[in-house]
Amino acid sequence: MNSAELAQGVPSQTQQSAPAIRLLGIDKTFRSGEQTIQVLRDVNLTVGPQAIVGLIGTSGSGKSTLLNIVAGIVRPDRGQVCICGAPSEAFNDWCSVGYMFQEDRLLPWRTAIRNVEFALETGSIPKSERTRRALETLHLVELDGFENAFPYQLSGGMRSRVALARSLVTEPRILLMDEPFSRLDAQTRAQMHEELLRIHRLKGMTVLFVTHDVAEAALLADEVAVMSPRPGSIKEIVKIAPPRPRDVTQTDVTVYMQRLRELI
Amino acid sequence: MNSELSAPPTWRKRFDLLTQRLLLMIVVVVIWWLASLSVPHYVLPGPERVWDALRLIAANGDLWNNLAITLWRVVVGFVLAALTGLPLGIFLGANRRAGEFFEPVLPVLNTVSSAIWAIFAIIWFGISNATTIFVVFMTAMPLIITNVWQGTRSVNADFIELAQVLRMPQWKVMTKVYLPTILPYFFSGARLAFGFGWRVSLVAETIGSSSGIGYRLRQAADLIRTDQVFAWTLTLVIMMATIEMAMMKPVENYLFRWKKDAQAQ
Repeated sequence: MNSAELAQGVPSQTQQSAPAIRLLGIDKTFRSGEQTIQVLRDVNLTVGPQAIVGLIGTSGSGKSTLLNIVAGIVRPDRGQVCICGAPSEAFNDWCSVGYMFQEDRLLPWRTAIRNVEFALETGSIPKSERTRRALETLHLVELDGFENAFPYQLSGGMRSRVALARSLVTEPRILLMDEPFSRLDAQTRAQMHEELLRIHRLKGMTVLFVTHDVAEAALLADEVAVMSPRPGSIKEIVKIAPPRPRDVTQTDVTVYMQRLRELI
Repeated sequence: MNSELSAPPTWRKRFDLLTQRLLLMIVVVVIWWLASLSVPHYVLPGPERVWDALRLIAANGDLWNNLAITLWRVVVGFVLAALTGLPLGIFLGANRRAGEFFEPVLPVLNTVSSAIWAIFAIIWFGISNATTIFVVFMTAMPLIITNVWQGTRSVNADFIELAQVLRMPQWKVMTKVYLPTILPYFFSGARLAFGFGWRVSLVAETIGSSSGIGYRLRQAADLIRTDQVFAWTLTLVIMMATIEMAMMKPVENYLFRWKKDAQAQ
């Protein structure tokens, strides 16, 4: 997004400097038949602009549910969700949210570029504009030359890049990721971490990601929010001090990994 | 990229296949010819007799007129079946209660013989085009509904969720997620239905028509012109094979080029 576009869409200075994500007293209970399961209780979390925040906890602690609440596909029973300083019901063009799933979820009948374009087909952006932006984003994730490949022709890492491009093509100010690289092999995952950090330096979007991997959390995040078991709430927020890029062999990083492991 | 994956079969392979097919045809004709030597021609006419009969009906225009009429009836019945089967299949798939309620109807429809539909058609429509069209329709429609219905059940919930996250309006989800998922199912249903349509159109024309290949077949049989029965049969087989290989297969290959196994074969 260029600066002119940005300036046009931004309502006020206060909202621009407001936290990217602010969750206040979120409760969520799921009902299936007679059973009710409280997954979230009084969750409070603030994610500053351009920060990378990891969300970690045992399975069933409601990490994914929390992410879905931020994305707006799950409604909390109680509490408030603010995105870029505004209530999440009033989604703004200037503060869109990108979402990357655990699986790549590429439509098998679409080529790479058409899969990226899919995210732009919601509104009324003309075809030529969609194609231009999709090409740009595929270039950003270093997939030049694979625009017309179908998903089955791509490796796991490449498919993951296409999925990343699809979540970035809308130029989101906030990128939500639900264990996005957990299905990749270790080497490819490391490449995707570098990729993500490079794009973050370039674009400066706020990143909130769910992970069950303490190494991933310690490598990527400025802060890691640790969730307690069900019903989930934020048990502790750990600030990761060493500057990026980090390495799992660094002693100051392993200290944090150890700390996170103890907290879960 | 991946050119070795999606490369078309080499010319050598194609040539081998062609030789094989040609050889098979020669074997069949020779067996046919040998068999025809020992029986009267009105029981089993030899290849040369059938060839003469075919030339005769082709020369006097019989062949083309009847072929066109039968083809027209099949296409009309089939298109009507596709136009009603596709939305009905989607409706039954989208509406669980309606689906459960109507589920027993389809197997029942499928078990009713086309001859029974033909008899009903004669009662309702008399000797007319509508009789054949109706029979084709009643045979093809349940097949298309069944396949489309099955297709709606295979729509990936993950893709629906993806569209929700992107805040895609419902009608766009229908055209961009549901329809492409259903299309292969619809297509295989339609292919099946078209093949069945051909077969049952003959049954309908035999008893409820005064033109078309089915009618000509019965006429030839009544006159004990076995050579002509064979000639009409041959015409049909060639026609079916041409439509299948020259139209259906290429269209399917193009539409579903994103499928791995379709590419590999």
